[in-house]
Amino acid sequence: MSSPRDELAEGSEVGKVYLRRLVRAQLLLSLTALLAFGGLVGSLPLALYVLPGLHRAEVLGVPLPLVLLGPPIFVLLITIGWVYQRRADALDASFRELLHDP
Amino acid sequence: MIAILAVGAVTLGAIGLGTFGVRLARTTSDVFVASRAITPWWNAAAISGEYLSAASFLGIAGLQMKLGAGALWLPVGFTAGYLALLLFVAAPMRRFGAYTIPDFAEARLEAPWLRRVAAAVVLVIGGFYLVPQLKGAGLTLGVVTGAPYWVGVVGVGAIVALVVALGGMRGITYVQAYQYWVKTFAILVPACVLLLHLGGLPERAALFGQELPRAPAAGLVVALEEPTRVEFPRDAAYAVDGVAARAEGGDVRTLPAGELRLPAGTTVPVAEGTDARVGADWSRPVTDAGNASPVFVYSLLLATVLGTMGLPHILVRFYTNPDGPAARRTTVRVLGLLGLFYLFPVVYGLLGRALTPELYVTGRTDEVVLRLPEAAWPGLGGELLAALTAAGAFAAFMSTASGLLVSLAGTVSYDLWDRRGAEAQPSVRTRRFRAATPFAMVVPAVFALVARDLDISLLVGWAFALAASTFCPLFLLGIWWRGLTARGAAWGMAAGACVASGGIALTLARDTTATTVGDALLAQPAAVSVPVAFLVMVGVSRLDRARRPRQVEAHMRALHAPEGLGLVPPR
Repeated sequence: MSSPRDELAEGSEVGKVYLRRLVRAQLLLSLTALLAFGGLVGSLPLALYVLPGLHRAEVLGVPLPLVLLGPPIFVLLITIGWVYQRRADALDASFRELLHDP
Repeated sequence: MIAILAVGAVTLGAIGLGTFGVRLARTTSDVFVASRAITPWWNAAAISGEYLSAASFLGIAGLQMKLGAGALWLPVGFTAGYLALLLFVAAPMRRFGAYTIPDFAEARLEAPWLRRVAAAVVLVIGGFYLVPQLKGAGLTLGVVTGAPYWVGVVGVGAIVALVVALGGMRGITYVQAYQYWVKTFAILVPACVLLLHLGGLPERAALFGQELPRAPAAGLVVALEEPTRVEFPRDAAYAVDGVAARAEGGDVRTLPAGELRLPAGTTVPVAEGTDARVGADWSRPVTDAGNASPVFVYSLLLATVLGTMGLPHILVRFYTNPDGPAARRTTVRVLGLLGLFYLFPVVYGLLGRALTPELYVTGRTDEVVLRLPEAAWPGLGGELLAALTAAGAFAAFMSTASGLLVSLAGTVSYDLWDRRGAEAQPSVRTRRFRAATPFAMVVPAVFALVARDLDISLLVGWAFALAASTFCPLFLLGIWWRGLTARGAAWGMAAGACVASGGIALTLARDTTATTVGDALLAQPAAVSVPVAFLVMVGVSRLDRARRPRQVEAHMRALHAPEGLGLVPPR
């Protein structure tokens, strides 16, 4: 009986299923991260358009919309990227474990 | 004088690093991808250094000063592009182990002819992006030294071609990382020093309130080098070369070349094509119409976020990561480095509106980063800071231009040149790369000399929209969908390129500013062209099901299987 690693290397039907599962898990993770980004940053233009009153709020004398387009967005991008990177590496690691001990 | 010294020092530093790299650039693998043995931090700085171009260093602040806070979506999109790259492209692309975009297209879809299609698109996108870099170099050298436009174009073109031909990419990686820190230092230090010197933001009413920019207490003197068409937003008295005149609010006039004088407190006239807006509207990131309407903003975000992954000079750099996880780590660091840089252009846009209103009259708001320090702080302090921003601007052109040139020369020498005999002999490939370098620079340089009047942001926007509508769907579908075929990819790229270019060309031809939703979509067509490209790719691939690549399972394994399983020999 061949190991899961060999199944994958040979491209057998079982190997294909292993790979499909990994690709699907990675894609799901990426789409979740995209949704987090799209939901938070993607709704910003619409929010600023629908709520022009946001402009009257000020942070350190600068209107809130201008501040929002600065540090908060970049911190959010880095955070999403960092969490994604750790999760994606973890998915890879668990796949490696799955294949190494049957 | 100080500025010339600073520009010279930065350029010599780059050349020195580039030639130092020559000794390390021995084999073809070295020349093309720097042996893939560079740490994530070096790689991230190099990617950021290559990415931060004239559009970022000068263009964002200039566009913000001219059109308002809507321009600030650009840095958001430019940075978020790397998040999209991280989520969908970075690790699989590195694992697949192709050198260039045409390599990927041919290997993944098993169609040698697709390599040439992809190579042609690389040349178009890279060319569109190289022209504005050279143009920016010509303008900047003009501001700093008074040299004619062509001197900057030819000078920067020659230096960059030399560094690239001699050093290959190993040299370039260190040069690019160095350029990132030069640029960040050059935008961060003057911004902070000027804010401290001024004690905060001046002229708040013109920045955030109900006022238009006005001539300062000492009056405003503007040297008009050529006759300029301007609009007067309010009644104004003015004099050109001593000849006094009056204009009423709403008047559009052609001012003759000469010395324009505006008395203290006069609302400054604005060059045609610039909106005269009061501070409250100017500082609003989303407005009802024009270049900050919601449709325009979303389309712009789509183009920049998805276009980044399709820029040929960016993707090739991911192959210098040793493996997939390293590619991910590098990309996260890129997000941080870009975020740091992009905090500062907004400072120049704000201070420029208050302190250099003459740029509204001449329409040359792209020069605000270069002109602001001396306007805000007359004397030695301002001169030193201006030298710093000039050096940073030069680093911006040099780095992006050299990255693009590596891609263009690589594509010409490797993808389009007759391949016979070259495969076996790395030395032949290296020689061809060096021979192709000057040619890849000459064509964009000639175009930059001819097309002096074309807007920088227009060419850059075109390049991003094209990349988002061609290579982005090729990568996303090629990496994540088994069903993509070569013909589907080719038709999809053609459809995306046609829609994107058609929209922008039509906007150019009609010569109007975007007012309706339709206008906005023509000027910024990504919201239409990207879905069209995806739909055509998927549709044609489905009809073409019989021609799916035979080795598709092996390709998916190469793209997605983690390292350490001993499955595929590392390429």
